[in-house]
Amino acid sequence: MRRILIIDDEDDIREVAALSLESVAGWTVCTACCGADGIKAALSELPDAILMDVMMPTMDGPTTFKEMQKSPELAHIPVILLTAKVQGVDQRRFAGLGVAAVLFKPFDPLTLAEQMSVALGWN
Amino acid sequence: MLNYLIAVLVSLVVFLTGTLVALGVAFVRSRRLCERLNAELSAALRESQHRQSALDERKELDTIKDEFISTVSHELRTPLTSIRGALGLLSSGLMGKLDDKAANLLRIASTNTDRLVRLINDILDLERMESGRAPLHIRRCALHELVLQSVDTMTALAEAAHVRLIIVPEPAGDHIVFDGDPDRVQQVLCNLLSNAIKFSPAGSSVRVLTGIDGHNFVLRVEDTGRGVPQDKIESIFDRFGQVEPGDARQKGGTGLGLAICRSIVAQHHGAIWAERNDALGTERAGTTFSLRMPRIVAAAAVAAVTIQSEGAILVVDDDASARRAVTDLLHRHGYTVLETASGEQALHMAANNHVEAILLDLYMPGMSGWQTIEKLKQNAATASIPIVVLSVLSPAAGTEDRPLVANTQGWIQKPFNESLLLAELGRVLHAGTGPGRILLVEDDFDLATVVLAGFEVLDAQVSITHVSSVGEAQLACRTEPPDILILDLTLPDGSGFALVDWLRGQPTLRTLPLVVYSGRDVTPTEMEQLRLGPTQFLAKARVQPHDVEDLVLAMVRHLRTPTVQPPSA
Repeated sequence: MRRILIIDDEDDIREVAALSLESVAGWTVCTACCGADGIKAALSELPDAILMDVMMPTMDGPTTFKEMQKSPELAHIPVILLTAKVQGVDQRRFAGLGVAAVLFKPFDPLTLAEQMSVALGWN
Repeated sequence: MLNYLIAVLVSLVVFLTGTLVALGVAFVRSRRLCERLNAELSAALRESQHRQSALDERKELDTIKDEFISTVSHELRTPLTSIRGALGLLSSGLMGKLDDKAANLLRIASTNTDRLVRLINDILDLERMESGRAPLHIRRCALHELVLQSVDTMTALAEAAHVRLIIVPEPAGDHIVFDGDPDRVQQVLCNLLSNAIKFSPAGSSVRVLTGIDGHNFVLRVEDTGRGVPQDKIESIFDRFGQVEPGDARQKGGTGLGLAICRSIVAQHHGAIWAERNDALGTERAGTTFSLRMPRIVAAAAVAAVTIQSEGAILVVDDDASARRAVTDLLHRHGYTVLETASGEQALHMAANNHVEAILLDLYMPGMSGWQTIEKLKQNAATASIPIVVLSVLSPAAGTEDRPLVANTQGWIQKPFNESLLLAELGRVLHAGTGPGRILLVEDDFDLATVVLAGFEVLDAQVSITHVSSVGEAQLACRTEPPDILILDLTLPDGSGFALVDWLRGQPTLRTLPLVVYSGRDVTPTEMEQLRLGPTQFLAKARVQPHDVEDLVLAMVRHLRTPTVQPPSA
């Protein structure tokens, strides 16, 4: 069974995304509401993948990702960024970070798990 | 005698007085002139300061607008993400079985959320395009392929609506190729197809036709639906300009599709319009949407209006992957390319084809690059072909070898930078002897006079021609191709962009060194749209006319320098 960590500052989105991954794909999900908590949760849970919001207060998604890359325990965990922005510049900036994929909000709750699987090469 | 002297003195006094008066008048006049000039100068200064502050203000506004759009986009999508997700999960039945009425209500909520998302996407899309912030990624495209892909994409929708999509084959020889952004053009085609499908009765067909119209291609999407009323035929391209107020809701559109199409087509310098089929002389019901865009005219047809026919660039490298990288790049920029892996073969090809320039690797098995250069220069048929070395060696390392320096015209170090390679090739192709021929395209006569005056004192090095419109510039380029073009962007009969587009279609001019001398700052996207050969950008607000002069002179010297110059990175 896959274990996913969701990091998003919006309570509702966290809940919907978690429900979606749990009920559609049957994955186990844990959540965190900011970058700093996300890093702590990632260190204690060591999930198979991390789904993380881009725009978060204090420490945004890309910064959190860079922090994670510095940690030997976390550097190998694939990270998927979830963004509500569609500006081309952002896409290019994220692509240059080295994340596994960038998915867009609003996501379809019925296909979110599938999109993640495709991006991560899980079958 | 005395009388005579008095007479002389009197006439002298009269003369002097006259002169004095004349001098006085002249003095007063010149002082007035000075004052007037002074006043004009301060007015001009104020005007320029005013323009600068207006420019700054506009930039600031653009930034604010950018941020606003970005924020709105984010702020609207965030709640929608929760709503859409929650509704999707509920209506899927995964959270528990629902009775029919509840399921129907959830379906309504879901569908409308989707519509709202599409609406936000479309509004942002349109806004980005119209503000010039959605850059086109121009590539050489085959129209037929885009039509096939679009029809493929829309097949599911067509099948669901029981509508047949028919591609009417292009007439023989109509292999239509154009330079455009394939994703954007496909977006237009899909939009036209989706509209046609939505408004067609079940069991009918939608036809796609393509054809050539001079330097343009025309694509038509023909449906047999209810037809657009004559008085709406133009307004349907406006934002939310549907035929019936409820169309967007009923047909699942946003009311922005055709506005987006028009915007995309305009960016491609084309036109899009609709006609009723019965107005086209047929008895059939329905509407035909037509799209006309500039196409690439076959090389033979272009040669008729240009001075010399198109030669090829010969790429010589034993490394197949390096050769492919260069060849692909050159093909993408419209060059005809010949390629070979060996020096011996290169000598043969250069002697028997019209080769405009040779891109040559130095380290090759068999005949090395050095030997190949020597042989090329010994043969009268190939001696004058410019050679650009493409080597892992740096130009500095290469310049230690004097014969090599004397025999080559350019140098690109591997792994190569694409724009540097294109710029170096452009420079070499336009190198020549004698004064540099400069074409100044500027509609402001005062400014043109100032620029021309700056060049007059240098007439041994440059000869400059001034024109003030796109049409005149095209004529001048055909009759006497310049070495360097200085281009203002706003012209009475079209924009500088149009001229650059035209130049890109001319085999002998598409690598022309260019100085864009514009009244406003040019965005990075626009810079891409304006790049020809080596291209420089100067904003009038930031530079003085003599800066243009300096830059152009540097370019002329660069063009006229026969030896290898280390490329300025």
